[in-house]
Amino acid sequence: MALVEPLPAQNVGQVSFGCSAEGGFQRLSFTGTGSEYFGIWIVNILLTIVTLGIYSAWAKVRRNRYFYGNSVLLGRGFEYHATGKQILVGRLIVFAYLVLYNVMLTFVPYVGIGLGVLILFFLPWLLARGLRFSARVTSYRNVRFDFVGRAGGAFLAFIVGPVIAVLTLGILAPLASRWSYRYIGNNLRYGQKAFSTDPSVGAIYKSWAISAAVVVLGLLIIGFIAFLNIALITTAFENPDLAEAVGMQVSLTLLIVIGYVLVFAIFGVAALIYRAGVRNVAWSAATLDGKHRLLSDLSRLRYTSIAVSNLLLTLVTLGLMRPWAAVRMVRYVNEHTGVRFEGNVGEIFSAIAQEGSAVGAEFMDIEGFDFGF
Amino acid sequence: MDSDSSAFARGEWHPAGSSRSVVAGLSEVGERVVACDETGAELAGGNFSAIRISARVGRIPRRVTFPDGSLFETNDNDAIDRFLARNGRAGAGTVHWLERFHPRLVAFVAATILLGALVYRYALPALVEVAVAVTPPILPRIMSVSTLETLDKTLLGESKLDEARRARILDGFQRIAALSAAGEGGYTLNFREGGPLGPNAFALPDGTLILTDELVELAGSDTEMIVGVLAHEIGHVEHKHSLRQIYRAAGVAALIMLVAGDIGSGAEDILVEGGGLLALSYSRSAEAEADRHSVELMMKAGLDPAAIARFFELLETKLEDRSETSIFSTHPGTPERRKAILDLIAEHAGESIK
Repeated sequence: MALVEPLPAQNVGQVSFGCSAEGGFQRLSFTGTGSEYFGIWIVNILLTIVTLGIYSAWAKVRRNRYFYGNSVLLGRGFEYHATGKQILVGRLIVFAYLVLYNVMLTFVPYVGIGLGVLILFFLPWLLARGLRFSARVTSYRNVRFDFVGRAGGAFLAFIVGPVIAVLTLGILAPLASRWSYRYIGNNLRYGQKAFSTDPSVGAIYKSWAISAAVVVLGLLIIGFIAFLNIALITTAFENPDLAEAVGMQVSLTLLIVIGYVLVFAIFGVAALIYRAGVRNVAWSAATLDGKHRLLSDLSRLRYTSIAVSNLLLTLVTLGLMRPWAAVRMVRYVNEHTGVRFEGNVGEIFSAIAQEGSAVGAEFMDIEGFDFGF
Repeated sequence: MDSDSSAFARGEWHPAGSSRSVVAGLSEVGERVVACDETGAELAGGNFSAIRISARVGRIPRRVTFPDGSLFETNDNDAIDRFLARNGRAGAGTVHWLERFHPRLVAFVAATILLGALVYRYALPALVEVAVAVTPPILPRIMSVSTLETLDKTLLGESKLDEARRARILDGFQRIAALSAAGEGGYTLNFREGGPLGPNAFALPDGTLILTDELVELAGSDTEMIVGVLAHEIGHVEHKHSLRQIYRAAGVAALIMLVAGDIGSGAEDILVEGGGLLALSYSRSAEAEADRHSVELMMKAGLDPAAIARFFELLETKLEDRSETSIFSTHPGTPERRKAILDLIAEHAGESIK
């Protein structure tokens, strides 16, 4: 692929890091393969079932180590350091809380609601802790990442932002995206060097406009189909015999299903387009140590088509092609992510020694949050 | 010193927490494992028991962490495995061996599907039964009290039925309640105005039954029909359907979450929705079970077991409810249920003739 610049060979020694005389962007690559990951994936699932779920913590470690380790920048992969035990403990705590919460909600609603409010109160703190854990167990060239964001920022980025976005029917979503990217981008550290980003709202809105157009157009089409069918249903009511003859029952059910799938598809596609656009804007506005620039140049169309075809491929093969789909996506995203080092980066030191607790990270995992680097 | 040539793996060495890297080799010197640079000078070292070696995953580099926090990294995975085997840790690579792309993975796929199906078919229902069995009766009671309280505050209104009508229904209700496993004391009947719930009757898990005025009006003078519906609701309580359903839903969600990290978010959403549809099909079988219970209780009480069938007929004619069973409905199609009940009665009649 022409876009991928040749990478220096492994083991080039002390001078390779950051020295880019050409001044071009160094892109990430992905060296893993679908078949190799398939083995890891199926064994993960099998052992998770056999061990009644306990292995899932180690499964996560192996999965992440595979994806991080094969994400290569300048001939060197990233590393994932969390241990199965850390993750298991985090999961057990979160699981116990969720069980307690659900049981209480069912049987003693007031206590349940109280527990829910409590977790809502602690959520920003948990999110910040989770991001910190994820960052601290990630390293590149033996230097760990770190995250120094506080609960207040997490509250604005992940609670206030989405609520405002939903309340304004997505019109203020770019603002929410800006908050969350600023929160992550400005609090992320690599060793003692800081990342920073300040994506412009205008640029995000440009990207947002395309998604908004997709949603509006899609809803218009659904509205049109529904309108056509209102005519059909009315006819059917006026001539019940006719309706019986053409099997109205079946077609009505089918229509509901089609409508549901269409809505799901429209919002899904719009979200994917938006996500790729925002990522490009936010990453390309980011720098490390005030001078090394980051780059993201995902094609919105290509990113969306890969995500959609991956989902279809996974469904059609009853999940069996999922490993190939996952590898395909990571490869595409990596190849469209890069860094341009200004001069020699020199020796960077890790500022941290310990990882802290996995509870926050596991909460994000179970609640469906997913932040990757 | 010739430790360089004795190196069994080549790679790079990093001082603790530093991005600086030095081309190095790993070798064994007596009991110790040492990393040496190209000139043979020792960079770091430690006893075998004191160093940490990362597990093998795919072809990603292995990490050897020394007690001083420095790190040796190598792509020579096989050499590290041989070194581990020499030191009595041959089993360390078992998971990696299992994961290799190999025909045996076909067997793993089959085993995974089979185990998944077994878990869903047997382990999940068994766990649900265990959970139902260990649930102390106080929990359904608390749950029911608060549910009724919430319903009274939000949807239900006070009943406007006259005393005589109530007494007739209560009388019939007590007759069948007395014949059920929990006895007459196990059930209490509440009259309410249904409001948005319309003609309805439902049971809370502790045996609290709620009957709406609208349903009584729909039944007209046929009190027996109402009793038949109440017998159906008693069936739900006796079989602990609501508890089972809660535990089932929780179990399915937990199962999906367990492997969720590996299936992708879009596929996960679809699975969760699919789980919801399956839960509906479970509630259909619960309805059928309650219908059967109604027939049996009514027969025992010497009442007409077809009363509930008359109720379904009423639903069909008055409310034009001719829905067929589909995967989207919580209840079986009304005509189908009516037929199942009449079949059951015919079966019972056949038995009693013999």
